[in-house]
Amino acid sequence: MNAVNTWNSTQHFWLIILGFIVAFIPRFFPLMLFTKRAIPEWFNEWMKFVPVSLFTALVVKDIFIDSASYALLLDKYSEMLAAVVVIIVAYRTRSMAISVVVGLIGVFVLSMFMA
Amino acid sequence: MNKRRPNPKQVPDPNEPLWRSTLRVAMPLNLSYIPIGLACGILLHAAGFNTLLTGLVSLLIFSGGAQFLIATMLTINSPLLSIVLMLFFLELRYALLSSSLSPYLKGSSNRFLFMFAVSLNDENYAINYLKFATDKKWTGKEALMVEHYSLLFWAASNVVGSLIGSALKIDLSIVNFALTALFLYMIVMQIKNRLTIVICLISGVLAAVCMMLTKSTLGLVISTIIASLIGFGLEATLRKRLPDSHWLWRLRSPGSKKKAVEHSDAN
Repeated sequence: MNAVNTWNSTQHFWLIILGFIVAFIPRFFPLMLFTKRAIPEWFNEWMKFVPVSLFTALVVKDIFIDSASYALLLDKYSEMLAAVVVIIVAYRTRSMAISVVVGLIGVFVLSMFMA
Repeated sequence: MNKRRPNPKQVPDPNEPLWRSTLRVAMPLNLSYIPIGLACGILLHAAGFNTLLTGLVSLLIFSGGAQFLIATMLTINSPLLSIVLMLFFLELRYALLSSSLSPYLKGSSNRFLFMFAVSLNDENYAINYLKFATDKKWTGKEALMVEHYSLLFWAASNVVGSLIGSALKIDLSIVNFALTALFLYMIVMQIKNRLTIVICLISGVLAAVCMMLTKSTLGLVISTIIASLIGFGLEATLRKRLPDSHWLWRLRSPGSKKKAVEHSDAN
């Protein structure tokens, strides 16, 4: 997280526009299509597993993969412990805000005691 | 809030204006957007986004996960194409959310569906899905209002976060954990049976292997496709061969009844 990004605002603007397009397509087209006809069952059954697979992959990337070399990292102990805490808090409270805030406090406190 | 309105669901005030009754439904979500929006704004500022563009990205993309991802990928200098591709796969889950809401929006004009799709998001989906399923009077109009309230709170907290980021020096690796926590929360909300936990483990291992092999975030895309197909195949096989398998039993969470409105996935 130390590297400074060199993009200018025009590049950021185009990133937003492209991001808007890829965010808009999966939100709009199923809605437009399926308010007029029925949803194929297999599509629904498959898509059901996409979020959980993707979120797990992203968590693994954040905790276990080095963002520059893509090597396996097993020494982010404060993040690992905080992740366990977040899972427990999310399971018990089912509140997004409490989970995130506890996670932030947890990783802050734990990183003071661990390297 | 509970003291002032002891029983808000059972006794709706018939004279309450629509903007206020929908705001009351959206309020728990609005408040929970504040800390996450602030963290997101701080990170976007660190990634080089100015305050105006932070506001714009919150209005146009309106997805915590996507905006955090943009910020992280910019700080590690990923190329534009790789960021957009990653965003596409991250946002693909909305295909599922919007198709599951479609039965309730039959007969709406394309213009309305456009407006609805633009401000759809995981959390306001959860609220609207629940309201559509339980409240007969809940229509697309009310649902769109809830979406707009959450959009407003999200964009405002992002802008404030961006301003905080420019005023204070903040340890970014800690703020970045907000994203990890957000994803962990969404995983927990997605877990419905034991099979889902197995898919999580498979996906986690696959993600690590694929990323080490491809040396890029493309590994995430590949592992997501493989893991979701494995889940799809496993569930179909289990349903056919062992319909009573304990892997398909539903799991219930202790808090699930009390705060139903804050679910990320009420499906």
